[in-house]
Amino acid sequence: MDLKEVSQQFERFKAAFVKNDFDTCANLLSQLKVLLTKFRSLPPLFENTPNAVNELLLAREIYEHAVVLSVKIEDQDAFERDFFQLKPYYTDVGSRLPPSKQEYLILGLNLLRLLVQNRIAEFHTELELLSATALENPCIKHAVELEQSFMEGAYNRVLTARQTAPHETYVYFMDLLAKTVRDEIAGCSEKAYDYLSINDARQMLLFSSDQELLEYVKEEHPEWEVKNGSVIFQKAKESTPCKEIPSLQLINQTLSYARELERIV
Amino acid sequence: MAAAAAATMVSSAGGLLAMLNESHPQLKYHALSNLISFVDQFWPEISTSVPIIESLYEDEEFGQHQRQLAASLVSKVFYYLGELNDSLSYALGAGPLFDVSEDSDYVHTLLSKAIDEYVSLRSKAAESSDEAAKVDPRLEAIVERMLDKCIVDGKYQQAMGIAIECRRLDKLEEAITRSDNVHFTLAYCINASNSFVYRREYRQEVLRLLVKVYEKLPSPDYLSICQCLMFLFEPEGVANILEKLLRSENNEDALLAFQIAFDLVENEHQAFLLNVRDRLSAPKSLTLESVQPSSSDPPAAHNENSTAPEDVQMTDGSSAVHDADPKEAMYAERLTKIKGILSGETSIQLTLQFLFSYNKSDLLILKTIKQSVEMRNSVCHSATIYANAIMHAGTTVDTFLRDNLDWLSRATNWAKFSATAGLGVIHRGHLQQGRSLMAPYLPQGGAGGGSPYSEGGALYALGLIHANHGEGIKQFLRDSLRGTNVEVIQHGACLGLGLAALGTADDEIYDDIKSVLYTDSAVAGEAAGISMGLLMVGTASEKASEMLAYAHETQHEKIIRGLALGIALTVYGMEEEADTLIEQMTRDQDPILRYGGMYALALAYAGTANNKAIRQLLHFAVSDVSDDVRRTAVLALGFILYSEPEQTPRIVSLLSESYNPHVRYGAALAVGISCAGTGLGEAISLLEPLTLDVVDFVRQGALIAMAMVMIQINEASDSRVGKFRRQLEKIILDKHEDAMSKMGAILASGIVDAGGRNVTIRLLSKTKHDKVTAVVGLAVFSQFWYWYPLIYFVSLSFSPTAFIGLNYDLKVPKFEFLSHAKPSLFEYPKPTTVPTTTSAVKLPTAVLSTSAKAKARAKKEAEQKANAEKSTGVESSSSAVNSGKGKLPSDKDGEAMQVDSPPEKKSEPEPSFEILTNPARVVPAQEKFIKFLRDSRYLPMKSARSGFVLLRDLRPNEPEVLTLTDSPTSTASPAGGSAAAAGQQSSSSAMAVDDEPQPPQAFEITS
Repeated sequence: MDLKEVSQQFERFKAAFVKNDFDTCANLLSQLKVLLTKFRSLPPLFENTPNAVNELLLAREIYEHAVVLSVKIEDQDAFERDFFQLKPYYTDVGSRLPPSKQEYLILGLNLLRLLVQNRIAEFHTELELLSATALENPCIKHAVELEQSFMEGAYNRVLTARQTAPHETYVYFMDLLAKTVRDEIAGCSEKAYDYLSINDARQMLLFSSDQELLEYVKEEHPEWEVKNGSVIFQKAKESTPCKEIPSLQLINQTLSYARELERIV
Repeated sequence: MAAAAAATMVSSAGGLLAMLNESHPQLKYHALSNLISFVDQFWPEISTSVPIIESLYEDEEFGQHQRQLAASLVSKVFYYLGELNDSLSYALGAGPLFDVSEDSDYVHTLLSKAIDEYVSLRSKAAESSDEAAKVDPRLEAIVERMLDKCIVDGKYQQAMGIAIECRRLDKLEEAITRSDNVHFTLAYCINASNSFVYRREYRQEVLRLLVKVYEKLPSPDYLSICQCLMFLFEPEGVANILEKLLRSENNEDALLAFQIAFDLVENEHQAFLLNVRDRLSAPKSLTLESVQPSSSDPPAAHNENSTAPEDVQMTDGSSAVHDADPKEAMYAERLTKIKGILSGETSIQLTLQFLFSYNKSDLLILKTIKQSVEMRNSVCHSATIYANAIMHAGTTVDTFLRDNLDWLSRATNWAKFSATAGLGVIHRGHLQQGRSLMAPYLPQGGAGGGSPYSEGGALYALGLIHANHGEGIKQFLRDSLRGTNVEVIQHGACLGLGLAALGTADDEIYDDIKSVLYTDSAVAGEAAGISMGLLMVGTASEKASEMLAYAHETQHEKIIRGLALGIALTVYGMEEEADTLIEQMTRDQDPILRYGGMYALALAYAGTANNKAIRQLLHFAVSDVSDDVRRTAVLALGFILYSEPEQTPRIVSLLSESYNPHVRYGAALAVGISCAGTGLGEAISLLEPLTLDVVDFVRQGALIAMAMVMIQINEASDSRVGKFRRQLEKIILDKHEDAMSKMGAILASGIVDAGGRNVTIRLLSKTKHDKVTAVVGLAVFSQFWYWYPLIYFVSLSFSPTAFIGLNYDLKVPKFEFLSHAKPSLFEYPKPTTVPTTTSAVKLPTAVLSTSAKAKARAKKEAEQKANAEKSTGVESSSSAVNSGKGKLPSDKDGEAMQVDSPPEKKSEPEPSFEILTNPARVVPAQEKFIKFLRDSRYLPMKSARSGFVLLRDLRPNEPEVLTLTDSPTSTASPAGGSAAAAGQQSSSSAMAVDDEPQPPQAFEITS
């Protein structure tokens, strides 16, 4: 049976996964995915084969592991890919399968990812799709609260939330979040100040040393200038003047209308 | 569970799209193949990932099939996004995955897009002629797949249409030869190429191909081949076919040859016909000495008289000559016949006989006109003479003139010119005796004596008599032209020569006329200009630039105008080839030349309904500064659209409401020209308000145009015809009406009853080709705005509404056929009557508006019109059209249907059909009701419903009953006029042949 073969393979994957042997995991996972394409009961076909439920369950578990794996190997793209492939198992066939324990954890992770990538619109889209009970779940709640703090500008709260992460996998994203916060602050400072002293800038951008600050400036904002002990933000370029009114063209057009009116038979 | 599972549907393509980013190619493939099936639903989601899929398509490492899959997916997404160009280019990349046979909107849309694209590429390549073959081979492959599919599915017409548009003649040929009914598809193809292929050169290519296909068929359709060959101007091809048929043992083949010849004659292409005739080889028996091996080259075109023993076709040795003698004799006999047909003499003679014996003109109308017209008003006086001529065009009935010699003598100067020329119209086609008829008025060598006006008019008349068949008269006209330096006579001679030698491009004649032009006399020069154009019709010769140069040089407006029209005539039917000349003329400083440019546009694109030409004309119609140019531009639309008369009213309807009376006038005539003889309802509705216009000349134009539209339509088919006739009478009788509109009304009454009520204006032959003479005639006719004598050119556009069946001897046998419609729908209009007669109650037509005064006047003339009344009284009592003839079948043995056909009493309800006897009047609208009886003795060679049709005799042993063979007196006096004319026949006409109407006695109008 294919199913059996896949399960065995999956067992091997899980073994490697527990051992944190990520290279093996990635290899096995890739093979597993190819094998899964042979099951016609899986999305998008959803054919009602005799083993449909088992196959769906197995596939769901594989993808759940894949998502977690991608977090562990810190690969955001893989996370996104795997998450989208996993999603139909929750949304489209959720009613046919027993609920998964991992579901809210993974949804929460996804929310967090969106937050990290500063994709706020998508964050809210995802949020709207969740039920009221789901919102009560600590994993989800965590993400929602983070977003609120983030929007309010209470960045310190965002940073301290790292300690209250509901699951170990969240830590990775929480680290990334710090950087997102820093980018936000940098963006705001740029608008708000003409310049800042290095000291202020370091504090503002939550760096522990000047060295880190300088490196950050060099990498992320080469347009900033560090001079005389202060960081000078280049003023945003003058907004382009509003378009000129095409007066000559309009006059010509009107004249030709008039001429044609006169000519009308 | 099962139900739930069945209802499970994916809610998003996100998962699959994510899978595209996987590194394993098999996953990508899986995603692609699944996306393809969901693209119809999730294309908005997929559209955001198009770049990824595009990169998959471009990925060289990806498998061929996968890449095509990606292309197909992208193509579909672009299709949904409305980006058809991108969609098409990816569909091309999809290769075989783009299935032309799939029945979906996507495929249909893209296919039409692909074909459009291909067509535009192909035609661009063909037009620029360089760097062809830049067409994407994949695109070509798709179109070819489509064509093949059409052919396999039996949709030959579609395949042919696409093939023609794509300029894929190879595919066209394939489609035709593989179709199940080759003859039908070929006919369809000819039709399509004539009406939808706008570029002339390409159309010729198509026709050449068709001829090729035709010739390959086991039983070639020679009729169609010859039509094509005529279009291509390949006289030797036609001559070969004709000769083959004539040499055949079978009489049927000879009949077919005759039929072909008649059909060719109908298109009035004189130069071509002469060419064909001269290429037919002479019979061998006469040319024993000329058996040379190198004999297949036909005689030179300029050799007018083919009696010269030039050559023979075969080289099978002189020994065969004597054996084949009876055969040769037969061939010789047939050859004489076909030469007669090709020269047009046979058809002209038959037409003349028909028009003469069926003449139904109503002299009472003319009489009313004559009396109501004031003597002093010369415009209306001449108009009456014009109307008379037109009414009797080709009938040879000049009773009215004879009866009113006194009145006629009031015509002086140019009026005398046109009165004399009018005789030419009346005797149109009287080839044998035309010369003797006109003899009293012709210039007498040196003696002088006669008025130059009547002499000039007589020369013009000779031209009208011999229009387009002027071989016999050319020399005489040339001599007359050279022998005079009176400009009036020169004027007449130029016009006459132009008419007689229409389209022959004879250089000697051209030089003669040119020398007249260079005298720089306004009167003669104008005629010379027109005449040069007539001579060079449709030749696009470089003479046009010579004429243009002189037009710039001369001071006389008349000459410029004549030349402008002449130049326009030279580019007749040239389409794109004339564009440079048209451009040159329409940009000229001189409004008269621009005016000529309008005519050039009209004639170059005559009957093509070419959009470019229409656009140009509409532009000039609203933007030119000269009223003349604007008027002509609108008028010219009529010429371009005559092949699609339904279009014209729509296109000019706005123009007909213009504030500018010239534009309104042009709109009226445009409708008149393009809808002539159709009786089209919309055309009449458009013209009706114009006949009541505030400006007199607009009324004039509208009345004439209306008459052109209503010609041969009677009141039973459209009640507005009766109303129009009453309106005409009212205008003529109205003392306070303007001379211009009165003249229009008089001319209109002439046109609406033209040719003894037996002709219509027809610009297209039955094979949908344009009739050169008719179009040219109308074009020159429309010049009457400047020069009234040109009104007579309208007679060139008349063609008889007749069915004339002919047997092997080219005689008219008795032959009956059915018109499956109420006789009253197509019968002659009821003759007008004086109110005192009993039929007045039944026929209120003409009398409603007559005042008491008119009644009194009419009574006074009761005895005068005895002739007319005699005939009209008889006619009005019976319901069938050919009552005299319709009764004849009943006493013959024969068909069951005839039992109830003879008309009984008046009270009887009208029958729903009538039996017509050869030759019969068949009006255009009636043609679709004509049916041939199944067990008839004769079988038509082709299924034409009018015109000349050769009949195959199925019982050749029985004696034939011939009609229309004897001199006109024997036909039971259908018209009073004929009786009168016959009565006056002079015994002096010694040269009279039996089968010709006798020439009437000459009368003198110079008093």
